[in-house]
Amino acid sequence: MLRLIKRTWGIILRPSVHYSLGFLTFGGFLMGIVFWGGFNTALEVTNTEAFCTSCHEMSDNVFEELKPTIHYSNRSGVRATCPDCHVPHEWSSKIARKMQASKEVWGKIFGTINTREKFLNHRLSLAQNEWARLEANNSLECRNCHSAESMDITRQSPRAAEAHERFLFTGEKTCISCHKGIAHELPNMGQALLSPSAVHGN
Amino acid sequence: MIMKRLKNSAHIAALVLATLAPAGVAMAQETIATLRAGTPLAENAAPHAIAPVRNTDLRQVRNYPEQPPLIPHKTDGYQIDLNANQCLLCHSRTAIEISQAPMVSITHFMNRDNQFLASVTPRRYFCTQCHVPQAEARPLLENGFVDIDQVLEYVSGQEGN
Amino acid sequence: MVAITRRDMIKAQAVAAAAAAAGLPIPAAAQNLVTDAEITDLKWSKAACRFCGTGCSIMVATKAGRVVATHGDAEAEVNRGLNCVKGYFLSKIMYGQDRLTQPLLRKRDGEFHKDGDFEPVSWDEAFDIMAEKWKATLKAKGPKGIGMFGSGQWTVWEGYAASKLMKAGFRSNNIDPNARHCMASAVGGFMRTFGIDEPMGCYDDFEHADAFVLWGSNMAEMHPILWTRIADRRFSNPHVKVAVLSTFKHRSFDLADIPGIFTPQTDMVLLNAIANYIIQNDAVNKDFVSKHVNFRKGETDIGYGLRDEHPLQQAAANPNSGKSDPISFEEFAEFVSEYTLEKAEEMSGVPIATIEKIAKLYADPNTKVMSLWTMGVNQHTRGVWTNNMLYNLHLLTGKISTPGNSPFSLTGQPSACGTAREVGTFSHRLPADMVVKNPEHRAYAEKIWKLPEGTVPDWNGAHAVVQNRKLKDGDINCYWVQVNNNMQAAPNMMEEGLPGYRNPDNFIVVSDAYPTVTAEAADLVLPTAMWVEKEGAYGNAERRTQFWHQLVDAPGVSKSDMWQLVEFSKRFTTEEVWPAEILDANPDYKGKTLFEVLYANGQVDAFPLEQTSKDYANHESEDFGFYIQKGLFEEYAAFGRGHAHDLAPFDTYHEVRGLRWPVVDGKETKWRFKEGSDPYVTPGSDFEFYGKKDGKAVIFALPYEPAPESPDEEYPFWLSTGRVLEHWHSGSMTQRVPELYKAVPDALCYMHPDDAKALGLRRGSAVKVSSRRGEIHTRVETRGRNKPPKGLVFIPWFDARQLINKVTLDATDPLSKQTDFKKCAIKIEALGA
Repeated sequence: MLRLIKRTWGIILRPSVHYSLGFLTFGGFLMGIVFWGGFNTALEVTNTEAFCTSCHEMSDNVFEELKPTIHYSNRSGVRATCPDCHVPHEWSSKIARKMQASKEVWGKIFGTINTREKFLNHRLSLAQNEWARLEANNSLECRNCHSAESMDITRQSPRAAEAHERFLFTGEKTCISCHKGIAHELPNMGQALLSPSAVHGN
Repeated sequence: MIMKRLKNSAHIAALVLATLAPAGVAMAQETIATLRAGTPLAENAAPHAIAPVRNTDLRQVRNYPEQPPLIPHKTDGYQIDLNANQCLLCHSRTAIEISQAPMVSITHFMNRDNQFLASVTPRRYFCTQCHVPQAEARPLLENGFVDIDQVLEYVSGQEGN
Repeated sequence: MVAITRRDMIKAQAVAAAAAAAGLPIPAAAQNLVTDAEITDLKWSKAACRFCGTGCSIMVATKAGRVVATHGDAEAEVNRGLNCVKGYFLSKIMYGQDRLTQPLLRKRDGEFHKDGDFEPVSWDEAFDIMAEKWKATLKAKGPKGIGMFGSGQWTVWEGYAASKLMKAGFRSNNIDPNARHCMASAVGGFMRTFGIDEPMGCYDDFEHADAFVLWGSNMAEMHPILWTRIADRRFSNPHVKVAVLSTFKHRSFDLADIPGIFTPQTDMVLLNAIANYIIQNDAVNKDFVSKHVNFRKGETDIGYGLRDEHPLQQAAANPNSGKSDPISFEEFAEFVSEYTLEKAEEMSGVPIATIEKIAKLYADPNTKVMSLWTMGVNQHTRGVWTNNMLYNLHLLTGKISTPGNSPFSLTGQPSACGTAREVGTFSHRLPADMVVKNPEHRAYAEKIWKLPEGTVPDWNGAHAVVQNRKLKDGDINCYWVQVNNNMQAAPNMMEEGLPGYRNPDNFIVVSDAYPTVTAEAADLVLPTAMWVEKEGAYGNAERRTQFWHQLVDAPGVSKSDMWQLVEFSKRFTTEEVWPAEILDANPDYKGKTLFEVLYANGQVDAFPLEQTSKDYANHESEDFGFYIQKGLFEEYAAFGRGHAHDLAPFDTYHEVRGLRWPVVDGKETKWRFKEGSDPYVTPGSDFEFYGKKDGKAVIFALPYEPAPESPDEEYPFWLSTGRVLEHWHSGSMTQRVPELYKAVPDALCYMHPDDAKALGLRRGSAVKVSSRRGEIHTRVETRGRNKPPKGLVFIPWFDARQLINKVTLDATDPLSKQTDFKKCAIKIEALGA
């Protein structure tokens, strides 16, 4: 084993005899594009609604719950797909989140939530993970689409306008503080021990 | 006493007739099923568009104090189930300072034996059994219910005579 | 407090009147402030709710002859101060702008004409033409040529007066209530399993049960006040479990610990699988079963209640057979053994784990189980069987007739029990569970009615669906519909109902408060007093009989159904309707009117006008000159007293919030068939199912059989119809209350978003929904309160503009003759495509 590594290392260190420097540089560059592109393409593939809902855990539970909500179909036809809310858009955070996702692959392989019942048993902790993430990043994924600056509160219902003025614009609360359960059903909120103002839907 | 009652009801009837458009059926008519608005029974009218829900937050007059208030806003997707009650997140006793929404009525704290509980009684948990939002749709027909204030006015008028 | 001057007050009142005239809400600043008690006092009286079979008690406030407010009766055990949204708006149901105020007759050139337009006529003219048509038909075709269709919304005495007029007066059993669409399978189930109708338990079971299992029922919307009692029990006692089984997800699932969506018709598989589980896991209550239960195996392949020439009827081996043979427990165990959990999962689509959880609720001897069902089980081509199979589970485990152990058949109409069933307004029944086919029962009825032997005919009359077929075929030519909207309710409207009513040979009379779809299909429309415009009595699902007084006057010349029936009876003499042989044998009856022999018979007219309440009007009694409601009630009560259907004396019911029969020695009965709580049980027997001669209930071995029509390539969707919370039945009352209308304005086609997508449709798309029988136009809803699985859609039937009964199939349970409104095959296409 050790010998194999040594030999390979030797090959890598040894200068090329058959290929020109230019060829190697250009080839390396090309291969870099291919690999990098491939990596990114693969990453992008895993970053689609179709991929996320390709396993039944997602399609039967959270995706089914998303369908009747405003983030799935609405007046302007802009749909928030799974990664829009659940995967950071900024590159390094995205990679970090994708690495975390390896744990979910593990969960998939071992069937952690492969029945409705198991999913329901985990719903609280799954939801709390996402709430905590969004609280920590000041609801970044919400704000990727809904920026406070772009909000015209005169176009909102009076109670929404008032709430945004009091809590959002002052920075007292962040989006997720109030808008839990808008895309998927809420877990048992008695167990979640939230403050009464924590959730109010869309 | 009975005479007086009859007199009152006659006046109220007159009031109703005066305030409503003439009731549907007076002349010879081919179709009478008012809710179908003239579409013959064997035919199908074009279906109404799905009306949006009134979302003005403006409270409506109750027909009488015992009537549950109508919901003046959208409730799309509000979850009321074993896990959560999204109505109470604004309307519960402790939430209204933040939400400035009306607090659930104190009757909602009473159990079957009229005892007050520490929190909202589970028998009132499913809000939408009594409270409903309103679509922005014109009623198919007017209703001739007379508000108590107008009835009282006529009663007082009678007393004065 | 701000002082308000008299001038301000007068001004405020003027503003209020002006605001009302303009139809505007009254501004807060203009509000009245009257404090004089004599003026502000409201007269509060009790009444039973006008809507469903729950039987909530309502407090009704009147002032100056108007209903001005209503609320839930805090003293009533049923609802303890609560109402659902419909109940809270009862104040407005009588005041729809288009109330009928005078009779309307189709006329052309001043005379009745089948194709004429509706013109107002007097009661005299209305009854003249009716009597003329009735007499002509009776002469030409005899009693089988006339028919009547009534309702579980009739008051007790209205149903009784109608049944007596038809069965004894006109000697025709062609009378059926719309309860045929609603409770007939429940009745069939009770009679077959217990030999006596109606639940053994009562609503007190809600506060005692540890588990609730809903079989196809959506109580959250259809029985909201009973749902509050389940919610109270479930949330207050965390050990309590709620299981909800249905063919689609609806609001009741919000409280479900154990949810299950099954393929239509496979409820029968689940029931047999649970019975098998109970046996396999040694959970049979052997002591109970050996003492109180017989086993029988029913005949199978019994057809689908379609017309005889229909291929499915031709194919059936034992059409309409309710026969059964005795078997042993072992044979029953063997029979259900093929229904394994695996097979149940495969056929129903409900996961094994879910079925097992529900089975354990029944199997665990320490869990008190209440099973609840209504239309999902009753509107079923194997409805009687499915009722039987539900009782099987409770009988196998002995979980019955004790607090919290309760197989509970819910009802949909306010007096489905009190009137349709107890009074016996079905085409085969007489009061107190007796039947017209039984000569002893007929003789008993004739004796109580003081009528000649042989007056009551011995043939089963036409039931609801057959009545429409006979109208179409021209076999029934005179037809009277009271207090229901059958043109909107009965199945297969385009092929049977509408052609039947519009058949030129037929004369159709409809009594209603509003110009309904049925009224439009009629030839003569009679304006009818409703709800608290008359003295009334209803009987709810827990055997509770409730009374109310007349609180306000009906508009125009409207009269109650009872007044119409009794007044009409004055237009016939016995010679015109009874055969000579009866009159020759009983010459005392010659030359008398039906009014005299049926109602002025020394019993119905036994109570003088002075006995009516001093505090309330009673126009019918004033018109007839005696306390007619009391007379009818007391004569009717004679049928059940001493026969396990005992009712309390008439006057008692005006004092109390209802009583649950049998009322023996002034005491109501909460749990029947159990010693200690039911006075009819023989001491020492513990349980006694005394509806059966040997005191034993029956467990039936019955298989799964498929639905008559299932989705196929051409019609790929299941259609289920039903109700929504905000509207009651055909919507003839609730659609006229603006707040209820705006809460749910139109019927919609609730479907799965993926199904919509696959058809190129979306929420709000206008669609044509069609079956082999007819079509309606509606819109797609993918985000509503009902969430069907792929392959099934739900369309409610309250909407007079979208008559979904044009689409439904007129297949019935061959035993109960009740239609299956929950299953037929349809297709959905974009409108205009």
